[in-house]
Formats: sequence, structure tokens, C-alpha cells
Amino acid sequence: MLVVMHKNARPEEIDRVCNRIKEMGLTAHPIPGAQRVAIGITGNKEMIDTNRLAGMSGVLDIIHVTQPFKLTNREMKAENTIVTIGKADFGAGGTTVIAGPCAVENEEQYMSVALSVKKSGAAMLRGGAYKPRTSPYAFQGLGEKGLQIMARAREQTGLAIVSEAVDTDTFDIVEEYVDMIQIGARNMQNYSLLRRAGRSPKPVLLKRGISSTIKEFLLAAEYIMSEGNYRIVLCERGIRTFSDYTRFTLDISSIPELKKLTHLPVISDPSHASGRRDMVIPLSRASIAAGADGLIVEVHTDPEQALSDGAQSLTVPMFDIMMQEIGIITQTIKEYNGKMHEGGNA
Amino acid sequence: MIITMSVNAERKDIQNVKSKIEQLGYATKLFQGEKKTVIHVIGVTEREKLIKAVESMPGVENLVPILRPFKMASREFHPENTVISVNGKKIGNEDIIVIAGPCAVESEENYLEISDLVKSAGAKFLRGGAFKPRSSPYSFQGLGEKGLEIMARARERTGLSIVTEVVSEVDVPLVYKYADVFQIGARNMQNFQLLKTVGRFDKPVMLKRGMSATIEEWLMSAEYILAEGNPNVLLCERGIRTYERYTRNTLDISAVPVVDDLSHLPVIVDPSHASGDSKYVRSLAKAAIAAGADGLMIEVHTDPSRALSDGKQSLQPDAFMTLMDELRRVAQAIGRRL
Repeated sequence: MLVVMHKNARPEEIDRVCNRIKEMGLTAHPIPGAQRVAIGITGNKEMIDTNRLAGMSGVLDIIHVTQPFKLTNREMKAENTIVTIGKADFGAGGTTVIAGPCAVENEEQYMSVALSVKKSGAAMLRGGAYKPRTSPYAFQGLGEKGLQIMARAREQTGLAIVSEAVDTDTFDIVEEYVDMIQIGARNMQNYSLLRRAGRSPKPVLLKRGISSTIKEFLLAAEYIMSEGNYRIVLCERGIRTFSDYTRFTLDISSIPELKKLTHLPVISDPSHASGRRDMVIPLSRASIAAGADGLIVEVHTDPEQALSDGAQSLTVPMFDIMMQEIGIITQTIKEYNGKMHEGGNA
Repeated sequence: MIITMSVNAERKDIQNVKSKIEQLGYATKLFQGEKKTVIHVIGVTEREKLIKAVESMPGVENLVPILRPFKMASREFHPENTVISVNGKKIGNEDIIVIAGPCAVESEENYLEISDLVKSAGAKFLRGGAFKPRSSPYSFQGLGEKGLEIMARARERTGLSIVTEVVSEVDVPLVYKYADVFQIGARNMQNFQLLKTVGRFDKPVMLKRGMSATIEEWLMSAEYILAEGNPNVLLCERGIRTYERYTRNTLDISAVPVVDDLSHLPVIVDPSHASGDSKYVRSLAKAAIAAGADGLMIEVHTDPSRALSDGKQSLQPDAFMTLMDELRRVAQAIGRRL
């Protein structure tokens, strides 16, 4: 349920509606928009008695949100949510690129990749300090030491950092160091972790589970939002299919579908989707062309020696080429959208 | 890696080999046979280095590397079937076990009624969700500890053992107090912290297959539990996600013989979640037993249309009773008991 307020509703009117919602035993989520404020309502088991809200001053309309995802729904908020992290912003119309190695291996390696990707135009740094690995015997990441290395790379480059939190035990420590917390594909339905992320003051990068539907993906984001954290960036990273030439199959259609269903920014991870270096550039181009707000790409100075996912990491020169190509596509789309807008055909 | 010591290896030879392996950073486990001692080396990452260091040491007879990525879960590591004992009931021998009950514990009255019925039909274990992992944050999330208390009362009354899901590592100590067997659900099959946590407790774990997990990934998840020291892992095939839409999931019946070949761990089947439709539960349950499963987990509800979750796939008590009779005959035909 969504209460849409008048364009010139006063703050006290908004407060009064929120209080009434609380009195009814429900949760109010005020969502400020460019034109007007809307108030999302969650927590209802049955139909809400809208009569108690409809006549209140400042209320323009009450909309029933039919889909099971509520706060993430575009019906709740028509404008794009823009998630700003340092100099990077997602959802503002440009292409924002997060780059770095799969795992932080050592300081020298990480710094060298960080400086290179910055030079090519990356807006944020990625890196795994806690790695969720299929085998208990595989390299599990450097832990806090890895986060410290990333923090030093932030100091040197001025770029914000994102790293994965794999469980509630280590969440606090990841939260302390990073500018954005990643929830990985394997944890997309780890509901206690999602709730913890929902209580964090830091934005969340939520990856799609390898076999989850778009609805399940948005419901996972809903878990985070229902706890009060509205700064979420969704990431399509390929789903499991029978095709065995690539590690996963990039679900390119999920990008326009998500952009239609939700106001949250959507980025694409061509590295995990393909698992193959030679496909990262074409999939990156396709993602941006399909409307993605950004990319997260694995880059390594020496992919052959990487401790994890070397086969899907771009070399630094390849990343540089990718960034140039992406720049051209982003520009073309902007110009095209501008023209369509002028012509009134949008 | 499995290292077999020769018949006349002395105690100090065994100790030396053990120390050498530990120096290389691996854990060991000793198995004292009638004549020979076998040393299991866990978590080998540099096989060649280990072989070189150990092969010519006094007392070493031979070294068998386990080539599969799952070690302790593999048949090579443990050729005989693992038989798990829960309150005197065995899982993994010729007996076939049935775990039955509602999807979620809803109320005491309703739960006790179902428990009595499934007991009279011959089930040995009760299922029931107290902590429910639901796709939507607004769906019924289970009764929590109150649900566990109700299950414990049903155990007292019926003598059946209880299997219930734990969805977060922070809840493990609480669920441990009540459950006889922990369930790790499909969505948490790769929640590694949860796997490690239940691996440190001394109650058996039923590990459901993730809905898009390969058999290898499933066994690797079992390995996480085994590597922490809990040897009692029971696997549960519950259908995988495919493009087919007439059933909720697609039961991967071949997983049963494949797991039996690759691993010593017992494997059971959940035909309720696999099909998502009570109409098909009967056929899938019979097929699972015929394929060699060690048991079944079946959802039963006295009033499926009013169930708070998964009503559509729950059997009514009389249908469950009939099914149990049929299953007994299938079990008999393949030389097993139910």
C-alpha cells in the first residue's frame, strides 16, 4: 500500500500520516520524490482499512501495490533512486564502473591494480577479503588484513571501496572498512544477513542468486529495505543454465526488466557471468546498451597468477580498451535519449 | 590423501608420519585397524609435495590420493556406508526412515494431532518448521522458539525424533536445545558460516540440496560440516530448478544412485518440495525408494487448504497412511524394511 501525498503537503501533514500508520500497527516508510512524498506501508497481514488514511489532510491518493515486492517497486517511487558513494553515483544516468581483482592477495598486487583501474576511469574499487568458496580447502581470503589493504588503496586513489560480507559474524568488521557492502549470489537468500545489511548505514550491492527469479531477487532487496536501508544497487551476474561454454549465462533481459519493475539502480557483472576474459568486453558493451547503470569488472595485473578467478579477469590494457568503448556507448545512448526527448517520441 | 601404514610399522613410525604431515600444515585422523593403521590427511592443497615428503618414510606402505574435491564425504575416504544413529533409530542401513509433518508448526493442537497421525502411519521422525526462510519479508516467518517447544512436546508424547530447520548461525545453540536433527535448507546450502557452525555441534545434520546446486557442490557443502568434526551428515534431494513449470521443482532421481556411488553418506528424498503438488508425491516417493534412497521427508497436514505455508504440496493423513503401506511393499521388493 502506498499513500501519495499532495505536491505541497506540509512536513507536519506527512508526520501525521506516518503516526496514524504506526497507530494502526503498521510500518511507515516515507519516500521523498522529486515532485512529492509518498509513504509506503508494510507489515499488514490483511487488507488495510484505507478509510482511516484517505480523508487525512495532505493525502492525494492511496495506491494498492499488487506485486509482493513493495518498497523496491517502481509503483512506490517513480524516479530512479540514485546511490551516491564518494565520487561514484549509480542510477544518475551515466555508467559507473567498479573494478579490481577478485580477491585481495597482497598489498603490492592490490595497489598496482587500483592505480591502473583509476587511470582508466574506474569510479570504485572491488576486492574480496572474505571469500565464499565452494570448497572449505580453497583460499578463503585475507580477512581483515585484506580490508586494511583496500582502505590504504582508497587513501592512495581517492576511490571508494566495495567488499563482500559473507556472514553476520564478520559483517561488523567489513562494514567498518568499506564504503559499500556486497552481498554475494550465494547469500542472496541468507535472510539474517540481508536483515543485518538492512540495518547498516552503508549502501549495499546485492547480487542475484544463480538460480533466482527476478521476483525473488527483488524480494531479497525488499528484506534489506524493510529494515530501513534504502541504498541498494542490484547486480545481475549470470544465472545457471545448461549452456556450458560460459560459467553462467548473463540474463541480459533482466536489466530492462529490473529497470522497469524497480527504482533501484542495476549494474552487470560480465566477469562472473561468463567466467571468460574474452567475453567480458562484449558483455560489458551489451549490458550498457541494455540500460545498465554500471558494471563490476574483475581486473588483475597478472591474471595467470591470480589466486581465484584468474580466467575471467581482464588485463589492465584490456580494461583500458573496455572503458573507452563503454564511454562511447554511454555517450551515444545519452545523445539518442536526448534527441528522442526533444522529438517527443520518448 | 589416505596413507596406509604397513603391518609391522611401529608406533614411532606412525607418530613420525603424523608429525611430518602436521608440519606441512594439514590435519590428520588416525584409524586403527586390526592389523594396519590408516592415516587420513585432510585438506591437501599441494599433493606432490606431500607425497614426496612422506612416501619414503619408514613404515609407510602406500599413499592413495583422493582426487575428488570432496574428501571426507567421498566413498574412497570411507568405503562403508555411514549409519547415523538418532535416539536408537538408524539412518543409512537397510531400514528406510520416513520424516513427516507439516511444513510449519502453526499451533500446538494442530501439531500434536498431525504427530499422532503420522506416528500411527509408521513415521519415525517428525518434521516442522519453527524458523521459516521465506522469499518475502512479509510472509509468515514461523513461531520461533515457541514452535520448537511445541515440537518438543510432540516428541515427548509420540517418542518420535524431531528434524527442524535452522536458518541462521546465531540460532544454532537454541535449535540444538530442542532438535534431534538439524535441517539446513536448500537456500542455505552454501551459507558456509551456518555449515561450519552446525559442524561444531554433536547432533546430526540433514543437508538439503540447493535448488541449482550440482552434486559436487552439494557434497562440498557436506564437506564443510564434516571438516569441522561432525561426521553425521544426511543428504536430502529436494528437486532442482529447471525450465519445467508443471512441478515446483524437478526431482533429480538420478542424484540418489550418483550420491550413493560418490559418497558414504545416507541420502533421502523430499517428494513434497520436489513436486510442489500433493498429487505427485505418491509416485515420486515410491520412485525414490526404488532408486535406493535411505528415507523420505514428506509434508502432511490435517487441513492443507488452511496451512500457513506450502499447503498445496501437503498430503492429508489418510493419503499418507495409504502411501506408507505402498512404500512398505516397494521397500520389501528391494530387500529393505520400512
